[in-house]
Amino acid sequence: MFSKFEEWYRDRHDYARAWKEKSSGKVFGCFCSYVPEEILVAANILPVRVLGSHEPQDVTEPHLFGMFCPFCRDVLAQGLKGRYEYLDGITLAQSCIHLRQAYRSWEQHVDQPFSYYLPHPMSVQSPAAVPYLREELENYKKAVEEFTGSKITNDDLDRGIRILNENREAMHELYKHRIGPEPKLSGKEAMWVTVSSTWIDKEEHTAEIRRVLKLIEEREMDRECGAKLMFVGSENDDIEFINMVESVGATVVVDDHCTGTRYFWNSTADDMNDRIEAIAKRYVERPACPSKDHPVRTRFPHILKLAKDFDVQGVILIQQKFCDPHEADMVPLRKYLEENDIPCLFLEFDVTVPLGPFRIRVEAFLEMVGEEDLF
Amino acid sequence: MITAGVDVGAKTVKIVVLRDREVVATAKDLSGFDQAKVASELLAQALEKANVTQGDLAGICSTGAGRKIVSEATHSVTEVSAGAKGSLFINPDVRTVIDVGAEEGRAIRCTEKGKVEDFAVNEKCAAGSGAFTESMARALEVDVAELGKLSLGSDASVPMNAQCAVFAESEVVSLLHAETPKQDISKAIHDAIASRITSMARRIGLNKEVLVIGGVALNVGFIRSLNEAIEMDVIVADDPEFVNALGAALIAAERAN
Repeated sequence: MFSKFEEWYRDRHDYARAWKEKSSGKVFGCFCSYVPEEILVAANILPVRVLGSHEPQDVTEPHLFGMFCPFCRDVLAQGLKGRYEYLDGITLAQSCIHLRQAYRSWEQHVDQPFSYYLPHPMSVQSPAAVPYLREELENYKKAVEEFTGSKITNDDLDRGIRILNENREAMHELYKHRIGPEPKLSGKEAMWVTVSSTWIDKEEHTAEIRRVLKLIEEREMDRECGAKLMFVGSENDDIEFINMVESVGATVVVDDHCTGTRYFWNSTADDMNDRIEAIAKRYVERPACPSKDHPVRTRFPHILKLAKDFDVQGVILIQQKFCDPHEADMVPLRKYLEENDIPCLFLEFDVTVPLGPFRIRVEAFLEMVGEEDLF
Repeated sequence: MITAGVDVGAKTVKIVVLRDREVVATAKDLSGFDQAKVASELLAQALEKANVTQGDLAGICSTGAGRKIVSEATHSVTEVSAGAKGSLFINPDVRTVIDVGAEEGRAIRCTEKGKVEDFAVNEKCAAGSGAFTESMARALEVDVAELGKLSLGSDASVPMNAQCAVFAESEVVSLLHAETPKQDISKAIHDAIASRITSMARRIGLNKEVLVIGGVALNVGFIRSLNEAIEMDVIVADDPEFVNALGAALIAAERAN
């Protein structure tokens, strides 16, 4: 049922090349999930989230200091190895300095016709955040218009907003099938869907979700659900890891990742006269990345609500090594969840993950959360 | 009721045979390359010692890093659950278990019923485990069994970074070049492991009583350093290497009921 998403997940570059040939459109690489894709879709550009490949690499050492996170190094490696050679442009929306460093290095060392650094408010809780981002998005829109040679009209923006919102709505509907005693899809299948949504043409992706939604009610998973878990962390597209977790008696039913719910959870208002302000509001008000979630940690109650709504028995805290924003949240987040009776397992991720030792920890965690059976 | 626990660890396989919750036989051997074969042969030996056959067993529970390869096992649990179970059986007042084996150090916090509340495992590097003491003993050219005793002769506090086993070894070499007495270096090594283990245990919370299990619990130098680091007296399990196998055998008995 999810084979199309699996194929898209696996053959991401082939898809983008084929899309470009078919549509004669441009493809932009997005560093970070804060890039306003509505504007790109309005300009008939395919936004493609740039992610790593989870392979050891030896090409970034001259460019990034060792304490920068493995994810940003993996991202830069993809550029240096020419795997995104089809990109017409790149955009970084400011969130953390690690990815900014990878972006700046990419800009210097990878030939790219268009590159844009989009300043993005770090204090999203400030009343000045929306007007600030609005101005920055206007500048970004102008830069994109100059690059493509075409004006982006209000009709174009309405189309961009509609296409993004339709995808977000379909994702929400799909996630509803992960609630309840017998989820209709595994965490691995959901990961294929959510992660691929960050680079597939949104209309095509939405149509495929809609096709699945027609069939999913009748579906039964081919295994027991086991313990229902939530993943929390920065980006996570690690299929091997989620597959391992689900092979030892668990199903991942929800997440708080920027390649998961944080990416699609809220919509852009489609009834505001000022479309750019509507887009700015959406990105300011979306479930926050910890790099922007201060002074109040708004993500904690949001994560707890997701955990309760999806009735999880435990949370796996996935910490990308050296990811400072998430490290800053890790101690209080764990305390907060445990005080609310949600047990947590902390795991530190690198570019590759040691599946053997992690398996033992996950199994011990599952024994811990389901101990009525054992003791 | 007779049950057996089989703990397939990174370095050794341990077996405990229980009859009505009394230990009637134990066996231990190096894991070797063919862990499945070693586990099978060792199980046969332990059963012979206990004068029972496999058919007499109500259950066999495996645990440890290689627990999945034990074909005779009727159940399987992780070393975290087995460690908590075995520790509470030894001493019902235990609330924190520190388990230092050949390749992993673990801290387990449990309830009075032996329910695991939280646990932590050392990350990636072997610097908080038995393999570390072995490599340090090699660097000092002393027998690993002597390393602990050697450190008892020192009250010095020589700072050492044990974040990485390989770099720590080069630190030992530097200390030797600086003509630091071997006993002081030995103390520094144990302080470093104890500090690393304590830091991990503090992450989950240290509650009295603290029981130390695993092969490294036999190292008197480590235990002294650990007492100092956690600022309380730990209890060392009798036959600390067998506690996980004991816990597994107890779980096999509970499952059989």
